[in-house]
Amino acid sequence: MTPDALNRLVAQLAKLPGIGEKTAQRLAFHVLRSPPDFAKGLAAALTEVVDKVRLCPRCFSLHDGPADTRCGFCTDARRDDKVLCVVENISDQLALERTKEFKGRYHVLHGVLSPLEGVGPDQLRIRELLLRLEDSPIEELIVATNPDVEGEATALYLTKLLKPLGLRVTRLAQGIPMGGDLEYADQATLARALSARREL
Amino acid sequence: MRLLSLTCQRFRNLSEVTLAPSPHTTVAVGENGQGKTNLLEALYFLATLKPLRAGRLSELVQFGAVSAKVTGRFLLSGAEREIAVEVVPGGRTALVDGKRAASLESYFGGVSVVAFTPDDLAVVKGGPDGRRAFLDRSVFNRFPAYLEESREYARALKSRNRLLKDNAPVSHLQAWDATLARVGARLWARRRQVVGEVAPRARDAFARIGRTEEGATFSYAPSHLPHVDFAASDEAQLQQALGLALDVRLRRDLERGFTSVGPHADDLELALGQHAARQYASQGQARALVLAWKVAEIENLEASNGFLPLLLLDDVSSELDPERNAFLMGYLAERGAQTFLTTTDAHLVQRAVGPDTVWYRVSGGQVSRREA
Repeated sequence: MTPDALNRLVAQLAKLPGIGEKTAQRLAFHVLRSPPDFAKGLAAALTEVVDKVRLCPRCFSLHDGPADTRCGFCTDARRDDKVLCVVENISDQLALERTKEFKGRYHVLHGVLSPLEGVGPDQLRIRELLLRLEDSPIEELIVATNPDVEGEATALYLTKLLKPLGLRVTRLAQGIPMGGDLEYADQATLARALSARREL
Repeated sequence: MRLLSLTCQRFRNLSEVTLAPSPHTTVAVGENGQGKTNLLEALYFLATLKPLRAGRLSELVQFGAVSAKVTGRFLLSGAEREIAVEVVPGGRTALVDGKRAASLESYFGGVSVVAFTPDDLAVVKGGPDGRRAFLDRSVFNRFPAYLEESREYARALKSRNRLLKDNAPVSHLQAWDATLARVGARLWARRRQVVGEVAPRARDAFARIGRTEEGATFSYAPSHLPHVDFAASDEAQLQQALGLALDVRLRRDLERGFTSVGPHADDLELALGQHAARQYASQGQARALVLAWKVAEIENLEASNGFLPLLLLDDVSSELDPERNAFLMGYLAERGAQTFLTTTDAHLVQRAVGPDTVWYRVSGGQVSRREA
């Protein structure tokens, strides 16, 4: 008989994405074998993350400041107020941020339109985006949703909504990855890259 | 291309089977319900990643088992490759030489298969959906990328139909139109090309086996697309035309709750002389039309790939009259393609048999070698 406390830990860990029952058990044993400080640190980190990290009321990215304040992306004076990049989720934002190329502001939708999963415009942070556009000097809006069926539909929806406001709406280019080999590109990508070719 | 060996693990009622097929004809003999067709289905699934009959992938897994796996060793342009597909909870994994296939094209590179089942014989008299699926199998054989493209289309279509049913705002609905138009035009262009290639060959084949005065025609054109010259339009024009048609029909679509124009609403039209085959063809003529199409497809794939596809015939002989069966069996023997036949009666396939034919007996999910 394994102790109930251990069973409870395994059950909780197994709820994490990508973690099965066996892995959960291995992780639990690891915690048990490690010095007690490790478990205390882990527990504190877990509690802290839910207590302190919230969504920025402006861009809906992550923020750990006091409530009613804006996140670093929104308050950094070095960033360009005229360009706004709309992303599906926070991990997409972080991917763009890692390039160190983009110096504008962000807006996180927290999803894409997906009627099959019951996600419509009201379930995304689109109303907040429109409100935000009213009081900021944005000139260009970059739609950086994924190039899949749902991402495309979301991009199109935003374009139809925002173009009439006189904004410049752009979409991330699609095509051959850098350092990629034409030979290994799949047909769909190659066809898109061909139709979006540019003058040299 | 040649299949050197086939292994099925926990696939439907086949617990563990390894076959060493003939370079030409391999025959599986057995009573109905013993697992003959499962053997062909395993091979079809391996070569196309699509089930032949089952609606869901999970139906391919043996009752009580968690996963199923089909592995084939192929000789492809002189090199031996192992391709495998595993059905696991929630999906399937394609492997090339033991490694996860990076893309479907790398997986399909060089393998092609044409299947001929009793269900195919019903398409002439059946509904348009059956003929679309029939045509799509041919398109997919010719263009493996069609698998992903038709999935993308189906997803956009389902989303739009859901919104139509829910009476969603037009602004939200129209967000899906661009994808539907782009991918729909691609599907149209692919189907048009395949029908263009296969139809003349099928007409000739029918002239040989139809025993009918009138010639057969196989044609395809989008429904509800007036004012568009389908044959002469390029993909960009088709995309524009479909986008427009979606707009024009939006009110009607909202009333009915589904999208009424696009590749999903079309039909492969079969005719004898001036008459639609669906109403006019006899049972024998209907089967000859399907047979002619399959023969044409085999020839067309040989012309485009440079090698013959693998042929899978599931108990077709018992469904054809003796003369047409003799034609088919003679045709197979003469083409020399690697062929898998199932039958309840070994006599029916006698004309397709050669000195190197390999025979298997299938009984209660067990597969064993047998002498001719």
